[in-house]
Amino acid sequence: MNYFIELVVSGLAVGAIYGLVAMGFAVIYKATGIVNFAQGEMGMLTAYTTWWLATMMGTGGIATVFVAVVLGAVLGLICERLIMRPMLGEPVLSVVLVTIGLAVVLRSIVTILWGASPHKFEVAGADTIVNIAGIGIRVSQVGVIIALVLAVAGFWFFLSHSRFGVAMRAVAADEKTARLMGVSTARVQAVAWASASGLAGLAGALFAVIYGLTPNVFELGLKAFPATVLGGFDSVLGSGFSGLIIGVFENLVGGYLPSTLKEISGFVLILVVLMVRPFGLFGEKRIERV
Amino acid sequence: MRSGYYKQRYSELLVLTDSPAVKAWTVALLAALVAAPLLLGSFVLSYMTIILFTLVGVLGLTVLTGFTGLISLGHVGFLMLGAYAYAIGVTRLGLPPELALMLSAVVPAVCGLVVGIPSLRLHGLYLAITTLAFSHIVTASILAGGKFTGAGRGIMIERPKMFGIDLSGDRAFYCFCLVMCVLAVLVTLNFRRSYIGRALLAIRDNDIAARTMGINLVRFKLLAFLVSAALTGVAGAMMGMYLSIVSVESFPFLLSIEALAIVIVGGLGSVLGAVLGTIFIVTLPEMFSALMAVLGGRLQDLMTTSAHEIKSVLYGLAIIGFLRFDPRGLRGIWHDLRHVWVLWPLRY
Repeated sequence: MNYFIELVVSGLAVGAIYGLVAMGFAVIYKATGIVNFAQGEMGMLTAYTTWWLATMMGTGGIATVFVAVVLGAVLGLICERLIMRPMLGEPVLSVVLVTIGLAVVLRSIVTILWGASPHKFEVAGADTIVNIAGIGIRVSQVGVIIALVLAVAGFWFFLSHSRFGVAMRAVAADEKTARLMGVSTARVQAVAWASASGLAGLAGALFAVIYGLTPNVFELGLKAFPATVLGGFDSVLGSGFSGLIIGVFENLVGGYLPSTLKEISGFVLILVVLMVRPFGLFGEKRIERV
Repeated sequence: MRSGYYKQRYSELLVLTDSPAVKAWTVALLAALVAAPLLLGSFVLSYMTIILFTLVGVLGLTVLTGFTGLISLGHVGFLMLGAYAYAIGVTRLGLPPELALMLSAVVPAVCGLVVGIPSLRLHGLYLAITTLAFSHIVTASILAGGKFTGAGRGIMIERPKMFGIDLSGDRAFYCFCLVMCVLAVLVTLNFRRSYIGRALLAIRDNDIAARTMGINLVRFKLLAFLVSAALTGVAGAMMGMYLSIVSVESFPFLLSIEALAIVIVGGLGSVLGAVLGTIFIVTLPEMFSALMAVLGGRLQDLMTTSAHEIKSVLYGLAIIGFLRFDPRGLRGIWHDLRHVWVLWPLRY
């Protein structure tokens, strides 16, 4: 029983990271109708830059998280302005393929700049083990779960109460009408990319703190796909929550079944879910009109 | 310039080409390709072999993404299945190479049907992610397959003897690839102009309209998956023969991206584009390293230390650049050039 609870708790920690990335996917999808395949790579680049800054300046725990979010947002803004903005209005297929191109480029840049060997992302106090109800858990893992809760709450407030959040939902619902009402699609896209990339940066940095910094951090993006698909691409909060489901499920499979299954368990889960609900658990059903 | 030329019958609209010039050039190109092994050195020849078997795989993706408009990020899965089907057929089951080659088309085609079934319910990006999941599942099951699939170590295979011809020499293998490639191009071109091909294009352009015109979406989408997977599988088997080893490492996820890059750079939905794109993308890293060698110094060092990364950056930039500046791809540039050539000295 104790083993089971341990698996669930560490699954929640991993799942929280997936959830953060998955929320980023959903934010961009909701605002612009495309999937950003470079999400994991943006997280990785941010994690590496944060690590580089942190080892140079020697920043503490909270400051590192803050730096990661800001760097991620800046990276998102740059990518949006240079690469995505000119693609506004192009067919979805082209825009998605551009993000795939971006992903490949970012991934290689990291390896060229920092090499392929793994690094340890040292943050003071992150590895301290605290005891919660008899289960030892690392401070960084608690931090990840708190970060996800804060992000979900923040996005809920942002989407339902702020002017920009409402504009974003308007663009998602009907782009043409939103533009006629004076909403700037380009600005909504910029904010979506900045916030999604900020989330990815946060997730990437936290992942690196817990599991070490390697050029494979980008796989976070691949792992978070099932979470987004499970939650439904257009449901930001649902994606955050589904991250937890995927994390726990994956950890349980890895704990009780052969380890090769762990890698693909998320994908198998979504294949099953998609056959039953092609628009995800929390997604809006697509109604086709001719 | 041709003028006063009208198409009067339905069949004239469907023929592959009605221009004597195109026919003459095609014959010249084929003659050059057949004569190539007698004239070229082994380095260039092996490069051309790579281009030929890459083209077969890219044609597979063209059928799915270019014709039918279904995005696949998991084509490397079909490639892997084809290669493993061939390798297992030859080494474990002891089949003759001809049958194993058939198997390398059949196994991916059956799996293509399995992947195709979700595609009937999924749209666009959901499908892309399902195919991505498929390729991961293929990798994982091969790794978990133990002795039968060779797990992490892979399977060594020898160049076979097919239809009484020994393919172990580079020249013979080049000729084999050339024959397969010409066959694949012919199959794809004729597929494109047949009833099925036109139905697929209709589905790509507007699936609801296609359905109201009486096109059975289930049948044609599955057929597209089937043909695409079979072509890709054969390419996988050829790649396995070329490398002499079939292992999970020789089929990285980057291959899916490379195939997409080729289809985009060449121009979506066109066989000519696929050919031009393959030549461009496969020679791109080589051209680039030649350029770096000319520039010399630190850039050359970088080229040798991180060749794989530079290659990926080039693919990525090629995808972004073409989509951003000329979405028609190389095929569009080719058309412009041909226009200038035919109409010169007039402008239009």
